[in-house]
Amino acid sequence: MAKLRVKITKGEEVRYISHLDYAGAIERAIRRANLPAAYSAGFNPHMKLSFASALGLGVTSEGEYMDVEFTAAVDPVMARNKLNDSLPPGIFVKQSGYVDDRSPALMAVVNLAEYRILAPLAAGTEFCDVQASLRRFHSADEVNYIRESPKKKREIDLKQFLVQDIAAAAAGEAVRLSMAIKITPTGSVKAGEVLAALVAQFDLPVVQDSALIHRVGLYIANETVRSLPLP
Amino acid sequence: MITLDPAILSRVAKPGRYTGNEWNSIIKDPSQVGITVALALPDVYEVGMSNLGLKILYQIINNRPDAAAERVYAPWVDMEAEMRRYHIPLFTLESKRPVQHCDIIGFSLQYELSYSNVLNMLDLSGIPLLAADREDKFPLVIGGGPCAFNPEPVAAFFDCFVIGEGEEVMEEVIETAADWKKAGKAGGRTALLKQLAGLKGIYVPSLYSVSYAADGTAAKAAVNCPEAKPVIAKRVIRDLNQVEFATRPVVPYLDIVHDRIMLELFRGCTRGCRFCQAGVIYRPVRERRPEILLQLAQELVDSTGYNEMSLTSLSSADYSCLHQLVQALIERFKEQGVSVSLPSLRIDSFSVQLAQEVQQVRKSGLTFAPEAGTQRLRDVINKGVTEENLMTAVGAAFGAGWSAVKLYFMIGLPTETDEDIEGIAALAYRVLDLYKTVKGRRGAKVTVSVSSFVPKPHTPFQWFGQNSPAELERKQQLLKSRLRDRNISFNWHDTRTSLLEGVFARGDRSLSQVILAAWQHGAKFDGWSEHFKSDVWLEAFRSAGLDPYFYAGRERKPDEIFPWEHITCGVDKTYLQEEYQRALAGAATGDCRRDDCRGCGVCPGLGVEVLDWGEQANG
Ligand code: SF4
Repeated sequence: MAKLRVKITKGEEVRYISHLDYAGAIERAIRRANLPAAYSAGFNPHMKLSFASALGLGVTSEGEYMDVEFTAAVDPVMARNKLNDSLPPGIFVKQSGYVDDRSPALMAVVNLAEYRILAPLAAGTEFCDVQASLRRFHSADEVNYIRESPKKKREIDLKQFLVQDIAAAAAGEAVRLSMAIKITPTGSVKAGEVLAALVAQFDLPVVQDSALIHRVGLYIANETVRSLPLP
Repeated sequence: MITLDPAILSRVAKPGRYTGNEWNSIIKDPSQVGITVALALPDVYEVGMSNLGLKILYQIINNRPDAAAERVYAPWVDMEAEMRRYHIPLFTLESKRPVQHCDIIGFSLQYELSYSNVLNMLDLSGIPLLAADREDKFPLVIGGGPCAFNPEPVAAFFDCFVIGEGEEVMEEVIETAADWKKAGKAGGRTALLKQLAGLKGIYVPSLYSVSYAADGTAAKAAVNCPEAKPVIAKRVIRDLNQVEFATRPVVPYLDIVHDRIMLELFRGCTRGCRFCQAGVIYRPVRERRPEILLQLAQELVDSTGYNEMSLTSLSSADYSCLHQLVQALIERFKEQGVSVSLPSLRIDSFSVQLAQEVQQVRKSGLTFAPEAGTQRLRDVINKGVTEENLMTAVGAAFGAGWSAVKLYFMIGLPTETDEDIEGIAALAYRVLDLYKTVKGRRGAKVTVSVSSFVPKPHTPFQWFGQNSPAELERKQQLLKSRLRDRNISFNWHDTRTSLLEGVFARGDRSLSQVILAAWQHGAKFDGWSEHFKSDVWLEAFRSAGLDPYFYAGRERKPDEIFPWEHITCGVDKTYLQEEYQRALAGAATGDCRRDDCRGCGVCPGLGVEVLDWGEQANG
């Protein structure tokens, strides 16, 4: 067994597919590439794939991570090239390398996600309104967001997941927000949820529906350094 | 090119239905090809993407350097609302161009309940709904698929129909349209239509005038120009080994209805179930050679990356070399994690043994289709299985570890009595008891699924008067009252949609105005119960002064001329009438492939022969 770790993108072309569909598309590409993927035992054998963190429908990324188990260690560069020939537009392997078979799962080590959101300014508003809104957000002790699933409602304090203040920059008629969100063993929040709270509770003057959310990267972070989960 | 605002895509469910970019999709520059074809299926993406016929045509057309095939499906209601609000025309998934700019839009007509969606899609495209109103600049609107065997109810909306298998004739249509376009559209649309009418298997409804008898039945569809043929015979591929198959199908991101490799073993079916339209219109049986199937399977695995392969044919278990084929497929693809499945099971223990081989561990439910509850009625419909066959097969399944069994039935069949309905319940209980006998304990789950029989044109039951919704409901209730065991679950169909299906299946041209009126009052996605508007349809019939019962509920006279009389699948009407009489007498008719030719007329009439590879290989 050999565990290949890859850094992979989710581009504009596949922005609107769910995490499950994204994973399925990659699984099929691995089969098309004819790489020696390992399968789980039993009927309906599943390819052994694991991701660092699920990426929602509508969100793009330039730095996702995935582990795939092979029955034999093929050259990682060759694997990457074969895979890139078989992947649909928008999904691209940027880096690849083997990690120790027993190394902890990506999900257990990646603990920080960095996002960038590009959202058009609402009609009749200016960048200083954005700054004012963010100031109020940053000075609040806690920001409660209600996450609703078909089954239950849950209240989450968004601020405990934000590692630093949200940065804002003017970008023509739009505004660019940057934020870093903690991923903890008990859960995390989505950039879209932070945006929704900003709009609903702090009057952030942007067109929420038109916001484009992008994940810049995933990291293993401690108090002082951020590192990438690549070998 | 149409770019969709992210705001729209973030508001609709499953935006991946509209964004394209799937693996194996072919994006050509429309300005670099002579002819662009929008291949449409008038239902939502997940249904449309599952259609095998369109996958084949997509590949065949895109193989041509002079043509581009693109896909388009019905936007779901949420997306339609956005498109109407922001004036976004219906667009293709490949080049994202308005469908109106294509040269041809071809609709696959799989079921009658999708007719209102055809109108909705034309309207969203900005294409005049009535063929008569279309100027030269609009695309040629073509219909095909099983419903084209009686296209009369939708005749007003289509420029022409492809009758039968499309692989060859679609290329001829493209060539004809390309020449006409190159010649500066000489003679206008009418000239093109007359040329198309000269192709084998093409029906141009505007070249026929229909007259009606005093009693309202269709008296005659008379040709009104020399180019039109009095009778249009279906197109049929003589040898499937010689035509292109969909070996590079578009692989969707979304989970679609049939999200797997579809390997078509053969076309046609000669078992002769008397309710089955597919069994008649796709005659005769033509098998692909096993070595070609293995090669196609390999290409499909390599080009799609799917982990499941389904052997699709009308009755896949009838493939003459099935056992060897399945073993070879399992053997070849197990390393790549590809499993093999058989969607339709014959009721015998051989099938169960096969099912066991392909599903080595998983014991999800097995489906059997006895279709009727008593032997008498199974003889009427010529379903050549006995209760003993069923019990042996189900017993083998239980013995092999299955515990969930699904049983398919129809109600509303010719000569049916309440005894036959009660027979369905009795059969379900006997299956439950059988489990106890085999396993020594209870624990089986039986699902009884009942659909309402709709008589279809070109079948022996095309004369039969369909049961009314009230009668079908009464039978459903009767059955429900007999199925009182928590280990039996019962599914049934909406009887009102069955009525509509029945009307359009055997309807005539006057129904075009009903469909138009119903669509104008909001009918769409009629096959989706949450969208079906029964009152809108009934009002549309009333305002047109037409009676649904006249089309669906009336037993037709033996000598009645049918609205589809000028379209033939090669099976003689006299043979069908004979089969109807044999049905009423409860007489069985054997399989013409394994027993004697029954003289249905297809083979000599179309110059095509039954192609049974096992038989050829053995002798
Ligand atoms: S002509 Fe004879 S052999 Fe051919 S399909 Fe009809 S019954 Fe079967």
